[in-house]
Amino acid sequence: MTVAIVLALYGLFAALALPRLLRRGTWADRAPRLAIAMWQAASVSVVAAALLSAFAAAVPAAVVGHGLAELFEACAALLHDEAALSSTGTWAGLAAGALVLARVTTVGAAVLLRARRERRRHADALALLGQHDHDLDAVVVDYEERLAYCLPGRKGHAVITTGALHSLAPEQVAAVLAHERAHLRGRHHLVLAGAEALARAFPRLPLFEQARAEVARLVELLADDVAARRHPRVHIAAALVGLATGRVPAFALGAGGETALTRVRRMLHPQVPLGRRERAAGRLAVAALLAGPAALALAPVVAAFLAHHCHSLLTH
Amino acid sequence: MVRGLGELESTIMEHMWAIRQPASVRAVLEHLRQDRTIAYTTVMTVMDKLHTKGMLKRKSAGRAYIYEAVSSKEAYTAEVMRESLAGSGNRAATLVHFLERLTPEEASALEAALQVYPPGGRGA
Repeated sequence: MTVAIVLALYGLFAALALPRLLRRGTWADRAPRLAIAMWQAASVSVVAAALLSAFAAAVPAAVVGHGLAELFEACAALLHDEAALSSTGTWAGLAAGALVLARVTTVGAAVLLRARRERRRHADALALLGQHDHDLDAVVVDYEERLAYCLPGRKGHAVITTGALHSLAPEQVAAVLAHERAHLRGRHHLVLAGAEALARAFPRLPLFEQARAEVARLVELLADDVAARRHPRVHIAAALVGLATGRVPAFALGAGGETALTRVRRMLHPQVPLGRRERAAGRLAVAALLAGPAALALAPVVAAFLAHHCHSLLTH
Repeated sequence: MVRGLGELESTIMEHMWAIRQPASVRAVLEHLRQDRTIAYTTVMTVMDKLHTKGMLKRKSAGRAYIYEAVSSKEAYTAEVMRESLAGSGNRAATLVHFLERLTPEEASALEAALQVYPPGGRGA
């Protein structure tokens, strides 16, 4: 029972306090890939803590420690023995775990299915409206609004409007398309879908809500960085300005152009990337977040296992 | 074969958008036959499919149908772009960027940031 409480407290602490910790400083903008991994690891960590806490409440650690065979016996006993099932801890644990698991899977599936449906519908429309340009390796849509985006999926491609083509210089177009291809190659739509699913499954939890917003921002920075490997940063910045200005209100999302400003400044005045030691510390933190809940759950199991065997050694 | 039909759909829609008036399957067939051999039934099937998809509307004239594009190409493009890009809250579907509302100050700040660099120059 102690394990269950410790895990639940850890999960609660992580869900409430980690967002503030992770957003501290400017390290994320200097290492967007690592920052995305950190938000993902934090999210997985909270879900794992919730599930393991429920499991720990349902199954006493001592039982697990005495060997797998006995675990199965315990499970069988749970299913057959009404006396065991009548324990409130067991019931509550199993119900909570099942609830969390069901919520994550159903909302996750719904988000993915809806995204796929919308993508297909948009692809159908593009098949009628767009022209594939072999030189650009992108679909060109005849439309005056300046837009550049990508349609992910198995046959994913970058899309650009004639409005954008007319207002951008060729090297800026190349830079924008490199940015879009970075999204496609990095499968950023799945990264976004994961964050979206958790934010919808458990609304109002600071960690999931902020992870969704931050991951959406960070994939843009990451795609800029990938594009900057092959294209001069000034072209990316110029393309950003060209696309962000002169937009009709129907195409404006969000409250402010803060991200656009950050991105242009980042491209024009690149900050020093994180040092090797800072990166190593970051990776260690990711590993700790991922392994933490399991380690907490297993500690008493290992202790019980050792106790069991030491006991047998001493008595023989 | 599926790919061929998809291409035919877009050719037929281009034609219907270009003529901006109702046309029978026969008339569309005549147009298509200028640069390819194609069967009447194929064109009829594809136009029926476009009707099902809501791209074409039709009314019967005698034994056949007269088809017409539901909206102009420009209007349809605007609708698709607005609905699936700006209207969708689901960012996992299409990754759209640069869709932020810039205040005039932010826009001029962006322009100013860029002014430091010569146009077309190799800044970085």
